[in-house]
Amino acid sequence: MTAKPTNASPEKKQVNRREFLNIAWLASLGFLTLNLGGVSYFFAMPRFKEGEFGGTYTVGKVTELPPAGSAPVNYPKVKLWLSNTPEGVAALYKVCTHLGCLYNWNSQDNKFICPCHGSEFEANGTYIQGPAPRSLDRFVVQMVNPDSGEVLAESADGSPLPVPNDPNAVVRVDTGRRVTGSTHA
Amino acid sequence: MLKSANFQDLRKKAAEALDYRVRMITAGLGLDELRAVMRGDPPTEKPNPRYKVHTTSFLFHIRPRYYEKGSTILTHTFRLGFFTSLFFFIELFTGLILMIYYTPSPSEAYGSILELLSNVPYGQVLRDMHRLGAEGMVIFTVLHMLRTYLTGSYKKDRSFTWMTGLVLLLITLVLSFSGYLLPWDQLAYWAVTIGTSMFEAAPLIGTQINLIARGAPDIGANGLLRFYLLHVVLLPLAAILVISIHYYKVSREHGISLPAKFEEGNVPPEAKKEAKQRIDFIPDLLTHEVFLTALGLFILTAAVTVFGYRAALEHVANPQVTPLDTKAPWYFWWLQGMLKVDPASIIEGLLGAVGLKVELSALLNSKQIMGIVIPTILAGLLVSIPYIDRNPHRSLFKRPVAVGLGLLFTLVVLVLSYMGLPQYAIKTPVATRIVQDLAPEEGLGPLRSVPFEQLVAGVYEVGAATPRELCPGLITGPETPAGCPELTEVFAEYSERINHAANTPGLENFERLPNAQAVMLIEDWQVDLKKITMRINYDDPVSGKLKTYERHIFLHRHHGAE
Repeated sequence: MTAKPTNASPEKKQVNRREFLNIAWLASLGFLTLNLGGVSYFFAMPRFKEGEFGGTYTVGKVTELPPAGSAPVNYPKVKLWLSNTPEGVAALYKVCTHLGCLYNWNSQDNKFICPCHGSEFEANGTYIQGPAPRSLDRFVVQMVNPDSGEVLAESADGSPLPVPNDPNAVVRVDTGRRVTGSTHA
Repeated sequence: MLKSANFQDLRKKAAEALDYRVRMITAGLGLDELRAVMRGDPPTEKPNPRYKVHTTSFLFHIRPRYYEKGSTILTHTFRLGFFTSLFFFIELFTGLILMIYYTPSPSEAYGSILELLSNVPYGQVLRDMHRLGAEGMVIFTVLHMLRTYLTGSYKKDRSFTWMTGLVLLLITLVLSFSGYLLPWDQLAYWAVTIGTSMFEAAPLIGTQINLIARGAPDIGANGLLRFYLLHVVLLPLAAILVISIHYYKVSREHGISLPAKFEEGNVPPEAKKEAKQRIDFIPDLLTHEVFLTALGLFILTAAVTVFGYRAALEHVANPQVTPLDTKAPWYFWWLQGMLKVDPASIIEGLLGAVGLKVELSALLNSKQIMGIVIPTILAGLLVSIPYIDRNPHRSLFKRPVAVGLGLLFTLVVLVLSYMGLPQYAIKTPVATRIVQDLAPEEGLGPLRSVPFEQLVAGVYEVGAATPRELCPGLITGPETPAGCPELTEVFAEYSERINHAANTPGLENFERLPNAQAVMLIEDWQVDLKKITMRINYDDPVSGKLKTYERHIFLHRHHGAE
């Protein structure tokens, strides 16, 4: 029974108690750093309240909507144009997809025209002409039952949402969910 | 006799006490030694007390004991690194003072700048210095980097220093950019809006970064506060840390690189020996730095006083109105230019030329590729230059490929910057363009520079039989006894451009004004106030319908003094 001492070679030293503890402290500090990263992320991330840009915004009852096909209405506080087209309600982000200018509704020509570089869009946000690379961005529109808060219908892709028959339904726009307009050929 | 001897004794003692105190303060230099340093004499004691300062003094321990003579040749470094750090310290100093009067909130910020400009002694000078110093810091950082590249000083032992330099370039750009927003004028607001929306193209994290930087989907009170805190706390701290690391490597480890001519090829031993001679920090480098500091401060002060540099301040920020010709800060124009390039259409065009028809626009989102992918690749390339470039030579002539690529890269950045200008490839309708060029929404422009008394009320119609001089009877002053030359000149340019757009064949639609009728109408609106209307009627080139473009400009007699 002449067992050789194990791990005699210097490069194969076993982890001793001190080394183990040091690694453990370091690892716990590493986790703390990760933690702090996550905490900072949530701390720095802005929070949105209802009725504010970035949160949901209640426009009003469907009966209060302007008649279908009429001029879009500007909601500067939540940065959108609400457009009641014959196909339904669309909420358009008020910033031109070209270089970030703010476009306006031209009631003479019945289209949106950007004052900076002349991009033009239809009332439902579809690109007509000009340097803009894509149609206008839209927000998700919801029809909500005001009593239960239940979402009756939603246009997750931002396309115009048909107005339901229920006269009590409320139109709500989620300005936190912006759908990028489709690019044109 | 005894008395005088005592007096001598006392003087000696006092001198010794004084010398002792001075040594405490200077970390080892006595009075005689200080005098010798100032005079440029050799050290008075042995061992050399000047080296001792570098171990005993905190501020001197980071400075070099000496540089090799060859590396201090002016045309080798042009002192670019020194001036970069000098400008950084000027920014720290002027910035701290400016903070006294600045309030980082949308309702207060612009007012505090106006207060600073109009009501604080030296406020304007300090603001101008801070702004010009920031521009200078960006310029010197880039030039310093270019110099390091061209002299091959990033090679071998200096690759880590090169990398810290790149980090400093990034910090410098972000520092300058974050300061851009703080005056809260139209220029600041929209330049930063455009700048930050470039990040939005980044996949996955773009929106998140934007939300965190702006504190909201758009820039508001939260964004201003966040940019302010970045600008005055986080980034300066980071800059001081990385500058220290960068400089420590240079001053205490590898020194400034010797010019390649002393290291490569057949260098005569005596020339090499001469180049390797030591130039001590105390006194020679130190006195040179004092001189450079004085020179830099003198030039900066002269620029903001004698040469009249003024940091721009436009109207107060209005998130509802985008001014025409909005652009990012000049050091991001290259990025704006890149965003105008559509790689999909270029590749499609190239393949189309050899007969292949492909549809790539759905695959390649140009904003993502040009705004994020290519800059990331560029950053990676810059970091890895010392490892990619295996050529051991540093002389310009022995590395033609590297030098050629460097110059090509510089040229490409310049061309892209030009493409980033709003005048390039943006189809502003020509009527808008003409009026904007003559009387821009922000800034002066030719029309606003016309002396007030020359604005004689009247209807000036383009194409009507225009007299050579618009108002021949007007007495304007001793130097211009009659007429209104400046107004005539502006009107002539207006007419020329209208006629060009109306009559030149072969223009694109947005550049044409068929059947144009244009007037410039000057009215006496109130006492000391003129209203100028520029109206252009033309047929829409596409629909043929009559269109009108109109702008009203109000000019006050004392508008120049606002």
